[in-house]
Amino acid sequence: MRVDYRIERPVALSARFEVDGFTVLLGASGEGKSLLLRAIAGLVPACGEPFDGLPLQRRAVGYLPQGHALFPHLNAWQNVAFALRGPQRRAEAMAWLERVGLAELAERRPAQLSGGQQQRVALARALARKPKLLLLDEPTSALDPATRDDVLAELIAEVHAAGIPALAVSHDPALAGVADRLVLMHDRRIVQAGMPAEVHARPVSGAAARLLGLRNVQRGRLVGAPGAQRLWWPDAEAWLPVDTGLADGSEVDWQVAPESVELYEPAMAPAGTIAASVEVRQTGAHGCHLGLRCGRARLWAALPRDRTMPATACVQVPAVAIRCWPV
Amino acid sequence: MIPAARPRLPALAAALALLLLALPFAGLAIATDWRHFGFAQGDGGAVAVSLGLSLVALLLIVVLGTPLAWWLARHRVRGQWLVDALLLLALLTPPLAMGLLLATMYGPYGPAGQLLERAGLLLTNSAPAFVMAQFYAALPYYVLAARAAFEGVPRELEQIALTLGHSPARSFFHVSLPLARLGLAAAVALAWVRALGEFGVVLIVAYYPQGIPVKLWTNLQDVGLSAVYPLLWVFFLVALPLPLALGLAVRRRLA
Repeated sequence: MRVDYRIERPVALSARFEVDGFTVLLGASGEGKSLLLRAIAGLVPACGEPFDGLPLQRRAVGYLPQGHALFPHLNAWQNVAFALRGPQRRAEAMAWLERVGLAELAERRPAQLSGGQQQRVALARALARKPKLLLLDEPTSALDPATRDDVLAELIAEVHAAGIPALAVSHDPALAGVADRLVLMHDRRIVQAGMPAEVHARPVSGAAARLLGLRNVQRGRLVGAPGAQRLWWPDAEAWLPVDTGLADGSEVDWQVAPESVELYEPAMAPAGTIAASVEVRQTGAHGCHLGLRCGRARLWAALPRDRTMPATACVQVPAVAIRCWPV
Repeated sequence: MIPAARPRLPALAAALALLLLALPFAGLAIATDWRHFGFAQGDGGAVAVSLGLSLVALLLIVVLGTPLAWWLARHRVRGQWLVDALLLLALLTPPLAMGLLLATMYGPYGPAGQLLERAGLLLTNSAPAFVMAQFYAALPYYVLAARAAFEGVPRELEQIALTLGHSPARSFFHVSLPLARLGLAAAVALAWVRALGEFGVVLIVAYYPQGIPVKLWTNLQDVGLSAVYPLLWVFFLVALPLPLALGLAVRRRLA
């Protein structure tokens, strides 16, 4: 399904992209992502396709706002039945709850359900409306980190099973990882769209790289013609080797993966390395990252498993590991 | 272990305030002559007038005030402050002054009064005048309390109802109204007490038919303090159970 919307107020915004399967629109806070969803749902004045000009009651959308917005005075099945008409609405609501695996909690009020269960009730209610498009506003924001991935997997499985295109807006790069299609929004416009693997492999700008959760996106300036170039990193007041086809004097966003940052003991550091102090150590299931202070900048570096944590270090960034985007 | 020092002075002041609050009610219980408990002539009629006509006034207040309260809670228009000021003005106008204003507009020589009299509706010393006095006295209280109740309903829930295919009217009756019910009930209770207990406005435009407050006044004037107690008990019995129960329910909900 093609989404093409233009909003004038409260902020000017335009967006045009394809929604295919579970599509995630990734953007920073304040970009107007929620506003776009509300516009498609008909809650904000806007023009565009789909549903142009239809009153909001007649737009076949399943809208799941942040926090799920279940009716607190109704229990789970009554919430789902709210989207239904006719004498069979209770039986139909129960069937929808069965489908999301919550039939046994049908009599519970929303306050008695966990965040993930509330989300599934809200999804059942939205699906019961028989929408042509599902709209999900920050679907991971109200979820407990411990169960988030499982709840998300179930949500996506249910969306796929329903066969309805879904548009989820989020600033959470983790959600982008599970999308069928990924759309990036920056400065209130769409800057990149495509399959997640393509987008992750080739972000179009530093802003896109930041949205995708890439670390070490920095500002710099190229000095010298291609082939004999260096990168001036003003925040660290340091020069880096670089190899790009961009013109001399270009302002760039550049990025290096933490795994590519080379760490040296200060006493054994080769010439041309940058002095750094260790600010923070981040140990997780997938290894250890060090937050290094280089002048005014912070640089993340992966600490190899066999290395102990140094108090100070010297870092080197290999030219081949640096990606540059003109700004 | 040293026990934590309890602030004595605030506790004493609070106890004194509670005692002062309770004293008049205790006084009524003590002063009532329970052995010769009997009503003055016309007390029964006053109770009937007060209950019957207050119910009519309450109905009018709810029917007209609820849409206004909802509109005020949900819409912002240019010059909104004028609407707010008008409501506050009606609320803050002393009852006697409001009675005089009503007499000016709806009295036999008032512009609206003359028109309505020609249509057969007399708004001085009549049942409709009594209802009108109560309506004006209690409407601002109801509207402000009901507006606060509607403002407490998350707008998002009303919008979700619309996205689920419901009309604004259905959304109002199935979402806004049930979610605001406690606050609306409190607003109804407030309006009920205000209407039933209204004296100043009623005195000016509807001395007759006499309801409980005016009858209390005439009993006091004609017989003395002892003659008001039985009717006063009835007044408390009919006016207060609903607001008291709701007030306590709201406190429990907040706790």
